[in-house]
Amino acid sequence: MSATDTSAAAGAGAGQAGRKLTTARAIAEGIAQEMERDQGVVVIGEDVGAYGGIFGATGGLLDQFGPERVLDTPISETAFIGLGIGAAVEGMRPVVELMFADFFGVCMDQIYNHMAKIHYESGGNVRVPMVLMMAAGGGYSDAEQHSQCLWGTFAHLPGMKVVVPSNPADAKGLMISAIRDDNPVVYVFHKGIMGLPWMAKNPRSVAPVPEEAYQTPIGKATVARVGTDATVVTLSLSVHHALDVADKMAAEAGVDLEVIDLRSLVPLDTETVLSSVARTGRLLVVDEDYQSFGMSGEIAARVAETDPGLLRAPLRRVAVPDVPIPYARSLERAVLPTPERIEAAVHDLLKA
Amino acid sequence: MDDKTRLDLYRVMVLSRTFEEAILREYHADKKPAFDIGAGLVPGEMHLSAGQEPVAAGVCAHLRAEDAVTATHRPHHVAIAHGVDLDKMTAEIFGRETGLGHGRGGHMHLFDPRVHFSCSGIIAEGLPPALGQAFAFARADGDRVAVAFTGEGAANQGAFHESLNLAALWKLPVVFVVEDNDWAISVPRDVSTAIASNADRAAAYGMPGERIEDNDVEAIYAAAGAAVGRARSGEGPTLLEVHTLRLWGHFEGDPQAYRPELSDVPGKDPIPAYGQRLTQDGVLDADAAKAIKDEASARVEKAVAFAKSSPVPAPETALDYVFT
Amino acid sequence: MTEVVFPRLLEKEPGAEGVLATWFVSDGDQVASGQLLAEVMVEKVSGEVLAPAAGRVSLLIGEDQTARQGEVIARVD
Repeated sequence: MSATDTSAAAGAGAGQAGRKLTTARAIAEGIAQEMERDQGVVVIGEDVGAYGGIFGATGGLLDQFGPERVLDTPISETAFIGLGIGAAVEGMRPVVELMFADFFGVCMDQIYNHMAKIHYESGGNVRVPMVLMMAAGGGYSDAEQHSQCLWGTFAHLPGMKVVVPSNPADAKGLMISAIRDDNPVVYVFHKGIMGLPWMAKNPRSVAPVPEEAYQTPIGKATVARVGTDATVVTLSLSVHHALDVADKMAAEAGVDLEVIDLRSLVPLDTETVLSSVARTGRLLVVDEDYQSFGMSGEIAARVAETDPGLLRAPLRRVAVPDVPIPYARSLERAVLPTPERIEAAVHDLLKA
Repeated sequence: MDDKTRLDLYRVMVLSRTFEEAILREYHADKKPAFDIGAGLVPGEMHLSAGQEPVAAGVCAHLRAEDAVTATHRPHHVAIAHGVDLDKMTAEIFGRETGLGHGRGGHMHLFDPRVHFSCSGIIAEGLPPALGQAFAFARADGDRVAVAFTGEGAANQGAFHESLNLAALWKLPVVFVVEDNDWAISVPRDVSTAIASNADRAAAYGMPGERIEDNDVEAIYAAAGAAVGRARSGEGPTLLEVHTLRLWGHFEGDPQAYRPELSDVPGKDPIPAYGQRLTQDGVLDADAAKAIKDEASARVEKAVAFAKSSPVPAPETALDYVFT
Repeated sequence: MTEVVFPRLLEKEPGAEGVLATWFVSDGDQVASGQLLAEVMVEKVSGEVLAPAAGRVSLLIGEDQTARQGEVIARVD
């Protein structure tokens, strides 16, 4: 199976009656299958070995492949991300984990000035086929420095693909695609979709995942829910909130929402967004990253520069309102794109 | 050291200096009457390596084409010593389509995968990728090594410290070469660094360290031979610091008003000094020296002519190579 | 019929209670021997519950519910 839509693949199921995995296990399975296929795939990062990754993304890999291929590093992000770059330049396919997206501050030079630029600077003569994966997102009171999403920052800087799965099947397929891609791929997984036993989880964090290795196409969004009244464009954990709101509003208010799961920010599937907005005429963008100068503005710009006439009402966006993520639960819930804020925005959108 | 090796070192240094003199000439030719950094056939920043040739020659003499080298914003001497394609390198410096990076990288971002050479304009950030190349080599057949060049100013950047620790911890086949040319732009070493020699930092990171004085190409050659040998035999990394000489400014256009000893500097040029030494030892004479210089000039002018006659990249190709 | 018990993750505290964090199968599913059935937690320790035999699984407790170590949480027929 390759390049097919994994929503369909997951629904069809495989093996034991549509065997279910958490997103974390699905990611680890994708990495494991690629490590079986290609000796050049290694996993590098803090606590990726015996611990299995702080958020479970590398669970079981050390047992299966040993310490030569699953390497715990010192707290030296610049050094080990740069090491990944050099290894990739010499033909390996490293999967390097940055523990929290929030930590990019200590190592961003290697990421955006090296990993992302070497291919271009070299006129295409040097490739950097590595995956930089990172945990992102809030909602469990980890406050300002451990709750950010930041995919907008990575997407803004040229030279790296950015993928953000929302569910287990896409998580596995996108990881396999990312590893096989000859470009550097930033792979961002929201902690809230990982299905961890120690963090409150959305039920969609555990879902059927095909057993064989398969690729989910990078750069293709998917329509998570077909609808007619408005288009909700989103990604990551917010897909689940949007779907929950859609179910609720269908039952209570007869509103039929279309939900688009972007899955990738770079490349961005503008086509799918535009064709949906052309049908519904109403657009809500939901983004757990900071509101200004980011993903939601980008979606709005792509619609406006194609045909602002597609919109029958001004677009709405629900994002983190340019504020550091607060610690107190009451405050955190006020700034994250919760189902309540999403529902209110849909009402707004439909009234206008 | 045998005569051939000594002459090879001299020849590489002369070629490197001849190249830098040509670039100096070309760079300034059309930036008159007052320096305009964005003007001319070679615009942008230019960091030339005159005076530092012994480090490149002495270290790279021990390397093969399949060994990796990462260099800095001042890369030309290292590139030449490691065998980077001179025509394509020159074309890249001139921003031409025939350049190593099809004109995308320029003088600070030269990549020649044929000899595993790369350089970067960010201080100390060439060290981590060198670790990765060494990591890949260690897992493959053979005894390939990676060498990372950096400056004495860079030895205070986080990437330097992280890289030394990780290299020693994982016993990577890498050699770190610090070119101490006394100046981080305008800041002298004793204003930036708490200790007298970066070689003393090596022990803190669990590797051997050695400082070579006097910009002496043969002493550099000896120390580098031992370090590269250690890396090839699986003994892990070494830190070398070479006290070298920045003959010209940090960048072209640098008035160097901060440099009190400037008038003394030309007298410390390592190339005529080595030439004299070889002459005294009967290894070189005036005719041979002239032949070496003429050969270097011819080679360099051919590269410059190639660059100048090469096409400029077409604007509509500006987005090519973002992704493969 | 084979019983599926909540794993004894904390040997030193046999009476400790934990949580059934995640069911990977639904009530009535056919399962294979060794198949991952659930993930559980006792205090900070997480553990996996694998099917002890092949057959049809009946779930006896719900997700997020507490259970004691050693308690029967499912059956495989």
